Amino acid sequence: MTSYLLLTLFLVIAIIFPLVPLAMAWAWARIFSPAKPGHDKQSSYECGIESTGPARVQFQSHYYLYALVFLVFDVETIFLLPFAAAFLDLPASAFLALMVFLLLLLEGLVWAWAKGILAWK
Amino acid sequence: MSPLLAALAPEAVLLVTALAVLGLGVSIPRARNAATSLALVGGILSAATLRFCPGGGVFLGGMISLTPLAGILQLVVLGLALVAIVFAADSFPDAHFAEALALILFAALGMMLLCATDDLLMIFLALELTSLPLYVLAAFEKSRQAPAEAALKYFLVGSVSAAFLLYGISLIFGVTGTTNLHALSSFPGPGDPLLLAGMVMVLCGFAFKVAAVPFQLWAPDVYEGAPTAAAALIASGSKVAAVFILAKFLFGGLGPWAGSMGAPGWAPVLAVAAAASMVLGNLAALVQSNVKRLLAYSAIANGGYLLLGLASGEPASLPAVLFYVIIYALTTAGAFGVVILVEKSRGGSRLEDFDGLSKSSPGLAICLLVFLMSLAGIPPLAGFFGKFYLFATALENPGLIWLVALAVALNAISLYYYLIVLKHALVLPAPDGGHFAAPAPTPTPTRALVAALALLVLAAGLFPNLLLTPLTRSLRPATAAESAPACLP
Repeated sequence: MTSYLLLTLFLVIAIIFPLVPLAMAWAWARIFSPAKPGHDKQSSYECGIESTGPARVQFQSHYYLYALVFLVFDVETIFLLPFAAAFLDLPASAFLALMVFLLLLLEGLVWAWAKGILAWK
Repeated sequence: MSPLLAALAPEAVLLVTALAVLGLGVSIPRARNAATSLALVGGILSAATLRFCPGGGVFLGGMISLTPLAGILQLVVLGLALVAIVFAADSFPDAHFAEALALILFAALGMMLLCATDDLLMIFLALELTSLPLYVLAAFEKSRQAPAEAALKYFLVGSVSAAFLLYGISLIFGVTGTTNLHALSSFPGPGDPLLLAGMVMVLCGFAFKVAAVPFQLWAPDVYEGAPTAAAALIASGSKVAAVFILAKFLFGGLGPWAGSMGAPGWAPVLAVAAAASMVLGNLAALVQSNVKRLLAYSAIANGGYLLLGLASGEPASLPAVLFYVIIYALTTAGAFGVVILVEKSRGGSRLEDFDGLSKSSPGLAICLLVFLMSLAGIPPLAGFFGKFYLFATALENPGLIWLVALAVALNAISLYYYLIVLKHALVLPAPDGGHFAAPAPTPTPTRALVAALALLVLAAGLFPNLLLTPLTRSLRPATAAESAPACLP
């Protein structure tokens, strides 16, 4: 039970610890720098030039497909590395098994290629 | 050939088939029939391997454990996946059709592995191998809003529950130092609160798969939004595999931690979840206007009945639970088959779309009658015997009388919403005076399969021993089990 008591104590300290500087910063701002908003202060700063257009810009996200296809090579590397390290001690069947495994992964790549996923639209 | 590969020959055949279907889809994009035939042939080949040269034994320290019981369940989930493949021809769009079939086969592979393992890690891997293709299948019509929302819900809830499962497994491993179910069962009751937390988290992960309250939110949306063949697979095959592995986890791994009303353990947790699922599922189904949503709430209610069977905490209830879930899966797959055919001819699955079905296609209406009456538990259909056996087994535990009474009462309520569907199909006239009946129904594979499933449900109700005897025999301690013909050295 005492170990849990210690844990609770830690939890309380962990909550108080960040709250104290936050409260101090808030009090500091309250006392020494009262808010005086103005046009120049409110405008968003972009390297000194007047900003134009909205801040929300849509950008292409289909790069994730490449990330997914990269997984093929990723998994290949992870399995090939220990295989290569132990290559000389392995029987021929292990070589065959790994080739089958590589073929399985390769079909994923071929499939993605044939589906036109690698073509940048 | 290594003994492991020989034992896993059915799974290997299925994997090769899935990859071949993928390749076919890429090389000949419009070959719907060829892809379906290839998937069916591969699946049947895999089932034949499973049936006629079953590999037995335990491999890799329990990661793969091929018992006779696992063999039966594997055959059932494979059969249900084949049903989904036949249905897919009538419910999936042309775009990426071969990929849909390959995903169904991958999901079937996951379910088969799920049935044949004794290890928590492998359970997690197989569950994910089942779930990931199902998420994609549910999202197949992602350009429409409702399916996209349903699939996202399914995926998010599924990932969170998978995280729960994995964290629970890690807690159990942290305390006991093993992930093997047999090794787990040698641990005495749950004295350690950490073990209880791990157990509850694993149960959360499984409750998502069974669609038990409070993890049922995804079910109605997914059943409605997914292509109907995918919904049929989610409702049937994945449920059979999940219930079997849950039963194995509870009885095989956590047997001593069952507990009872008043003592901590998993039995009271299941009893509460069962009661909540039955109440919510049966009451919410009363107000549904879409048959697929209605079937989803019926699935939640049936998940409750299954948990009731498990909540007795006695391994003796295992045959009743497995019999019920297999019958339920066959019945609900058949009901989804009827929905697919109605959707195809009338363009929707609302209750009004079933109006006048008995006039336009009487055979289909009779099949629907068989499936829904079996779900409601009317003799002589299989659902009656399944429910009777399940409740009778649960009654042997005197602490569960309240739950069984609740289940029987709610089951009587469930008759009402099944009868509403049947009223639309059998009694109400078709709108605009029966002009719907225009095209004569042609015998498609889906139609034939729905009829076959209806016959199967009827046969399993009249002769329950056909299914029950193999189940109980394979549950007996393995002595005569080794007499299977060996066709590989």
